[in-house]
Amino acid sequence: MGSKDYVGAGIFIALGILIFSTTFSFPILDGGHPGPSLFPRVLATFFIFFGGIVVLQGWRSTKVKTEESPEEEGPPPNKFNPILVIILVAAFMALAPEVGFVIAGTVLLAILMLKLRVSALKSVIVSILLAAFIYTVFAKGLRVPLPIGYLGW
Amino acid sequence: MAPKVLLVICASSIYGLFVGSIPGLSATLAASLLIPFTFFMDPISALVSIVSMSAMAIFAGDIPAALVRIPGTPSSAAYTQDSFALSQQGKTEMVLGVDVVFSAIGGLMGAVVLMTSAPMLAEVAMKFSSFEYFWLAAMGLSATVMVSRGSQAKGALAMTLGLFLSTIGVDITLGYPRFTFGNVDLLNGISFIPAMIGVFGISEVMRNVMQGATQYSIPRVRAGSIFKGTGKLFIRYKWNVLRSGLLGTFIGIMPGAGADIAAWLAYAVSKRASKEPELYGKGSIEAIIDSGTANNSCLAGDWVPALVFGIPGDSITAIVIGVLFMKGLRPGPMIFEQHPEIIYAVYLSFIVANILMIPFGYLAVKTSSQILRVPKNILMPAILMFAVTGAFAINNSVFDVGVLGVMGIVGYFMEKNEYPIAPIVLGLVLGPIVEQNFMISMIKSDWNLGLFFVRPISAILGGITVILWLFPFYATFLERTKKKSSLPVQ
Repeated sequence: MGSKDYVGAGIFIALGILIFSTTFSFPILDGGHPGPSLFPRVLATFFIFFGGIVVLQGWRSTKVKTEESPEEEGPPPNKFNPILVIILVAAFMALAPEVGFVIAGTVLLAILMLKLRVSALKSVIVSILLAAFIYTVFAKGLRVPLPIGYLGW
Repeated sequence: MAPKVLLVICASSIYGLFVGSIPGLSATLAASLLIPFTFFMDPISALVSIVSMSAMAIFAGDIPAALVRIPGTPSSAAYTQDSFALSQQGKTEMVLGVDVVFSAIGGLMGAVVLMTSAPMLAEVAMKFSSFEYFWLAAMGLSATVMVSRGSQAKGALAMTLGLFLSTIGVDITLGYPRFTFGNVDLLNGISFIPAMIGVFGISEVMRNVMQGATQYSIPRVRAGSIFKGTGKLFIRYKWNVLRSGLLGTFIGIMPGAGADIAAWLAYAVSKRASKEPELYGKGSIEAIIDSGTANNSCLAGDWVPALVFGIPGDSITAIVIGVLFMKGLRPGPMIFEQHPEIIYAVYLSFIVANILMIPFGYLAVKTSSQILRVPKNILMPAILMFAVTGAFAINNSVFDVGVLGVMGIVGYFMEKNEYPIAPIVLGLVLGPIVEQNFMISMIKSDWNLGLFFVRPISAILGGITVILWLFPFYATFLERTKKKSSLPVQ
């Protein structure tokens, strides 16, 4: 709990307001009863209400001086790696339909392994084998129509 | 049991043991990565694979707890300190033997309760109407928030997010597209499976790659002697086993509470009832027996509300409900009449998986040092690739891979800011049930809210739910009153 809670709760409160305002364009049932808008409006109220509580809890906890938590053992965290995971998922979405599953998968795996300090040769060999294995399991074994691209078999 | 099904049980068990043994990978992650495969199985194979995988994964989480003081899954966290302390005292083999045997006993106890209570509850559930189902789903969601760790307000926000995601797409009353913003892919709503793999799988990969590779120093285990003395311990602690097994199953039957909560509660009850409470946290075998029995018995209990009412007992059974819908089956009392073969298969797979836990557990202990040395910098990219392929495979849609990525980001940031993520999935599963039954009830009752409390079972369930809603406010009020009264009078 702390000042970082303001941001998180703020996002939820904003989402609640956005949902509420969007529901005004939804149609209503016969007799003037709310239809498709009812449940989202209840949820919007929840977002605002519980978001408010989190803000309040965060404000209270900043008033109380807390003990510093001890530093965790091990190497310092690499903050770029989680972002890289998402970039790779997005790149896979863009690449796979064009170049095919095997190439896109190999590239995704190799880049992430290299970034995680696996040796270059090992990264390439493991990536090719793993992408081919997953392709065989899903495309040949389970008959999922994975993008064929240049190297499908 | 058909040889094919037995093969599925064995393969899923090995997979569960592997994932459960690796610190940082949960049983829920294992279940979510298993779904793309269950998609291509017949319903019985699909369900038994989840049963056997989850039973093994929950047990296997005990192995790294004892060897390196890191619980393999959250369910082993309650007694990690005790397991490791005993291990440090040179009793590693005894701890691991106790883990294997009492997990299996707990699992079997849970299976017996499931087999006896589910058909009886199904008969009661036959009388349920939309009013009761609404309250049951609302109660499940409320319980999920109540038992979530840390701030309950954050748990409520996570649940609301899941409920909101379930509203995306065509609505049930007028067929109006909600929150689709003209996107055709969103008309059918957010696909449950990619969303769940994203929340549990991608967020876990993101968290793990941030931490980098970890080298563990693993003590040598002589697997040959792990079962020595477990018989004597069973005789000595038989009442503990009975109490914890029943407690774990009861926690499981409560919608929303999972194996980790069962283990923590059993630990607390065990400490209170123990003749040696001073040993707890410093190496108590009694604590390990109690909590280890409870978390495995809880698994079968979790299936009771899932099968009988279609209300998930925990995040794994939320996945099970998703799988049942995927197979065109609707969980609820009717499944006991229309598809008894599925129910019997679930019963039998719990029995078989927990019996198999003894030899498989022995093998897992024997290979534990190798499993713990699997390099995470190769494992994480592999999990990412399986997650991406699995999300694509459900609907052959690149859009679903996008859902996976977005939900991964959401899960990652929510966990980073101490929001529980399991309520998102429960909200996503229960959202349509809550909304559909509420709207049907409102239309049936001509918009008279009072009718939600007229039918006897509906009134009881509604009363319990309202108490659950009011409890946090009452607890806060009580705490403040206590604080005020403890202030010195001037």
